[in-house]
Parts: sequence; structure tokens; C-alpha cells
Amino acid sequence: MSGNNITVLTDASLITCIVQRGTADDIVKAAQEAGAQGATIHYGQGNGMQEVLGILNVAIDMEKEIINIVVADDQADRIYERMFLAGKLDTPGMGIMYMTKLEKAATYIPPEILERLL
Amino acid sequence: MDSGNKKIRFGAFIREISVKQNVVSFNDIILKTDVDQQGRPTVKATAKSRLRSLDIYRLLQPYIKVRFLEQVKAVMPLAIYLLLFQILVLHQEVSIPESIIMGLLAVIIGLMLFMEGLKRGLMPFGEVIGKTLPAKASLKLILLIVLLLGIGVTFAEPAIGALKTAGSIVLVEKAPYLYTLLNDWSTALVFAVGAGVGLAAVLGTIRLLYGWSLKPLIYCTLTPLIGLTWFMSLDPELSRILGLAWDCGAVTTGPVTVPLILALGIGIAATAGKGESPLAGFGIVTLASLFPIISVISLALFVASTTSPEAIIAAAQQAQQLTENSVNISWYNTSPWQEITAGFQAIVPLVAFLIIVLRVVLQDRLRHQGTIIYGIILCILGMIIFNIGLEHGLSRLGQDSGSLLPAAFISMSDMAASPFYSWSVGIFIALLFAWFLGFGATLAEPALNALGNTVQTLTNGAFEKKLLLYAVSIGVGCGIALGVAKIVFDLSLPWILISTYAFALILTRLSTEEFVNVAWDSAGVTTGPITVPLVLAMGLGLGNAVHAIEGFGVLALASIGPIISVLTTGLWIQWKIKRHHQIQPKKTANTQMETT
Repeated sequence: MSGNNITVLTDASLITCIVQRGTADDIVKAAQEAGAQGATIHYGQGNGMQEVLGILNVAIDMEKEIINIVVADDQADRIYERMFLAGKLDTPGMGIMYMTKLEKAATYIPPEILERLL
Repeated sequence: MDSGNKKIRFGAFIREISVKQNVVSFNDIILKTDVDQQGRPTVKATAKSRLRSLDIYRLLQPYIKVRFLEQVKAVMPLAIYLLLFQILVLHQEVSIPESIIMGLLAVIIGLMLFMEGLKRGLMPFGEVIGKTLPAKASLKLILLIVLLLGIGVTFAEPAIGALKTAGSIVLVEKAPYLYTLLNDWSTALVFAVGAGVGLAAVLGTIRLLYGWSLKPLIYCTLTPLIGLTWFMSLDPELSRILGLAWDCGAVTTGPVTVPLILALGIGIAATAGKGESPLAGFGIVTLASLFPIISVISLALFVASTTSPEAIIAAAQQAQQLTENSVNISWYNTSPWQEITAGFQAIVPLVAFLIIVLRVVLQDRLRHQGTIIYGIILCILGMIIFNIGLEHGLSRLGQDSGSLLPAAFISMSDMAASPFYSWSVGIFIALLFAWFLGFGATLAEPALNALGNTVQTLTNGAFEKKLLLYAVSIGVGCGIALGVAKIVFDLSLPWILISTYAFALILTRLSTEEFVNVAWDSAGVTTGPITVPLVLAMGLGLGNAVHAIEGFGVLALASIGPIISVLTTGLWIQWKIKRHHQIQPKKTANTQMETT
């Protein structure tokens, strides 16, 4: 075997959550309290509920924050729920979130844990 | 990763004890699309889902909170500074009148509604017109529209209400022309200011189209301006108007005028292929703060040629007697109704004009009409509430602190233990107070922050944002302190103005185009809808307290301050870069010598 050796993680899911600009911090905090390791936030623009909301649509920021969190399958549902509740996504116009199964992921794994597992 | 031997997966356990999940297929909730007879897909209208009141609260709470706090941040530091100064330095037991607190609250709410309305209701017009007008109309028609728009936006400027409020503070016996301009001719005054802004917008647009340098325009505007000022200063009655005229320049460049006029000017220049220059946005603001001075002086000369001071005083006294005798003032002149009509008068003509331009000239329609109507209603509502707050809150607060200020150095009849300090210390404290008021208010102005970013990119980082922020703030601080000194010592305003602007002209001659643009624009940027009424009222209150003839001119000096400070900073940076370049070649020359 060559010196190059990578460890691939399986059983990982990606949670993506699209919310109004400025609200991502609370959601990420809730996710981290539920066990998420880290989060990526990027910015975008978009809207979805214009017809339903009518004039209340002005209260919704077109500028959006998109949160990406990679989680282990075992904790995925718990984090997903916490994020949904923290983002108050049961209110129209607040945003949308979804979870996708990842085929594989790779990142730094502390050597002592690696030793224990392999 | 599990090490085995588990009967139940932890994830399954967690799922059992946590939030209950219902599973619904997305297919069941999407809109059903059908195909009509022509084969085009049609979407069935969805029934409007009913919002729970909790949903409405959750949606509106952050929306309002962010915008409310934005204005609180702009108003409260200044108000607290003024109150603390009265308590700590002047040892006043300030029982803050409820009316001032309510007034400040009204200012915050009014500005919040107005700014949101401006963004939703008026700015879309400006953007669409700026983008499509140049393609659909001849240059003459465009310039005519720009001119009329300049007048319209001036009426819609919130700070313009401060001028009318200021009119009630001026005493007719001391400055009859000033009194009549602010009271009997107040609409004409705003109109004159508007015409000045309109002309400036026209000239600024032409400048953008042909890529003219700003310098000659400044020379051409300032030379007659200084001449007129000198001419006015010869007549003691007329010279009292000068403060007002020069202050008008600072009042005009506010949150409505600047973005709307800029959107139009840049849009036109961009269509002509000249909008790419990084300096594109500059210059119009400068001209818009110089031209109104000329037009107000012209109006004053016209008024002076039609009436005499004696006639004005007589008429004013007669009017006063009339109001004292008759109790029934017509209902539309009483407090809330007056502001409500003023609010409609400010916004409705501008909106009507914009709609006419859009429908008749451009034959275009705006999308999202519901949002636009909502924005316009917010604008009118905000204007009304702001005007009420202006009169009872900001102007009162400014006037109070202005009239209390002299207690630091002279003895005042209605205040025991004044003067609180010896004369020279008291004057020093008063000037320091004025300096920090200008410095702090400017540093907090959001428009200046934006200018700082532009300048930093424009000069490739040579003119740092922080440096500009401090240069402008120090300039405004010095300007306001000079203004206070002018009122206290009864200095001659014309001579201060002529000498400072002449100095600015010399600096302009020496500076490069970039710095000239930035410096002259920075003056207009700094005077927002909170600073203007506050400083105006403070000057007038101070003027009355020290029995000066009039208290205008503070804003005018607050405008020239940053021009000089920014130009000087620019020259200093230029000199530093030049020296840097001079040292570099020498070094390379030395190394060459060594190698040979």
C-alpha cells in the first residue's frame, strides 16, 4: 500500500435549510446543541409563498441564508427536528429544509478514534 | 461505527421519544397543472391558506424589530448625549417632559415607516425610470423630467419640515425678511430649494453624459455664489437671510433626494455608455447642495424688492392680533391636521408625477402594484408621524439644549447659579459640546459609512475608510463649533463663509479630480434627517438665548468643515504617495551605482 490513505465515512446525511437572512445563527446553534459538528452558511436570493401571504409578503426578506450541515445518520433526525423548531419553519414564508442521503463523506478524523475503529 | 451487540439502534430510539413526524407525499400538496384546449399548461389557483395569528406575529416581529432598532440607533445616542450634557455639565435637574419622549418616539416610528415606504414604494419608480427613460425619450424631455423630479423630491424630504418649524422660532422684529421667508413665503422657499436641486440634477446629468470634470463646475457655481453673498452682506437687513440660504444647501441632500436623483442620473449616464466610471455617482450631490443657496438668495432678493421690512413687521403684528382675538382657527391649521395635510402634500405630488412619467412617457407599468401602494401609504404615514415628532421632540430637544447652553458662561435670569463656570471655561465647554455633537452625529451616519467604502475602492486603498470617516466627522465637529462661536460672539457669517469657501477653492485647485469629488460630496452626505432639525433648532435656541439676531448658519459651516478637512487629508495623502515615489527611484539609482 502507498502512503496515501484516506478514510471514507458512510452513514452520513446532508441537511440543507433555507431561511431568511439573519436567522441562520439561531438554527445553527440549535443544530450544534443537538450534536451537529459544524455548519456552512452561504447566501442566496429567492421566494416561494407570495400568493399565500399577500401583503404580508413584504415582511419576508428575499435575501436568504442557506445552511448546510453534514450529520451522522443516527443523529440526523434529532438535529433535523431541532432545526425545524428553532427556525419556526411551520410558519408560512419562514423557509424550507430537506435532508439528503450522502453516499460518502471524508474529513479529518482524530487518530485515536481511527485506531479504535479500524 | 457501532461496535455491535446492540438490539435497538440509538437513532430509532431517539425517533420514538422525539417530535412526532407525519409523512405526507410532496406530490399531494403541489399545485395540479392541467392542459387547456390550446395545449398550454394552466395552474389552478390555490385557495388562500388562513394564517394563524401566531404566524403573523412570527413574520412581523423580526420585520418590525430590525427596522425599529435601526432608527433607535440613529436617534437615541444624540438624544442621550444632549440630556446627559444638560444634567452633568449644566447641572440641570431635567425633568424630561413627556412630550419630548413621545416626540422622539414619533420620530423613530415615523422614520422607520418612511424609510421602509421609500424602499418599497418610491425606489422601484426611480429604478425603472432611470433604466428605461433614456431609451424612450429625447434628451430635452429627460432633462425636463429630471428638473421636475428635483422639485418633487425636495418637497418629500423629511428634513424640509424642520425649516417650517424653525420659522416659528424667529422673531419678526429682529429679522423681518427671515421671518417672512419662513412663514409667509415658506412654500415658495421650498419651491426655490427644489428648483435649485432640479437644476443641479440637470447639470449633474449633463456632466455625467459628457464626462465633464467637477472642478470647473465648482468654480462656476461658487464664484457667483460668493459674489452674491458679498452683495447681500452689504445690506444689514438682507445679510440676515444668508444663514438660512446657506443652511438650505445642507437640508436638501437627504434620504429621498440622493438615491432617487442618483438612480436617475446614473441610469441615464449608463445608457449613454458613460456610467462605468467609478466616479459616476459623485458630483450631483455637490451641485444639489450649492444650487439651492443661489435660488434661495434670489428668492430673498425678489421678496426684498416687493416688500419692505416695516410692512412685514406690521403685517405680522396684525396677524398675531388676529389669532389672539379669534379663537376659532380653521381646523386644518391645528396640530395633527396640519401635519397630516403636510404629509400628503409632500408625497402625493411626487408619486403622481412619477406615475405620469411612467404611464405617459414610458408607457410602462410596475409589477407588484400591491407592494408599491403599501410603500406609498407607509411613506405618507411615516412623513406625518415624523413631522409631529419633529415639532414636539427633535426641535424641542435641540432648542432646549441650545437655549440652556449659554448658562455655562453667562448669567441667565431664569436659572439660578448661572454662570456655572467662569466665562472662558464656559465658552470652552460650550464649543467642546458643539464639537462632539457634530463629531458623534456624523460618525454614526450610515450614509457616510457607505461613502467610506466607495472611496476606499476608488483610491485603491490609499484613502482608508477609517481615515475618511474621521476626516469628515472632525470637519463637521469643527464646523458646528465654529457655528456656535459665530452665534455666541456674533461673528460676521458672510465673511466666515466667503473666506472658508475661498480657501476650499484654493484646495480644490490643488487637488486631483477624485479627491475633489469625494470631498465636496461628503458635505452633503453627512446631514441626515435627524442631524438637520436637531442642529438647526439648537442654533436657533442658542441664538435666542444670547440675543443674537438669528441662529442660522451652523449647518452651512458644518458643510464646509468636511470639505476642507477631506481636501486637506487628500492633499496630505497625495504628498505622501509622491514622496514615496521620489524615494523609490533614488534607491534604485543608488543600487545601480553600486553594481556598476
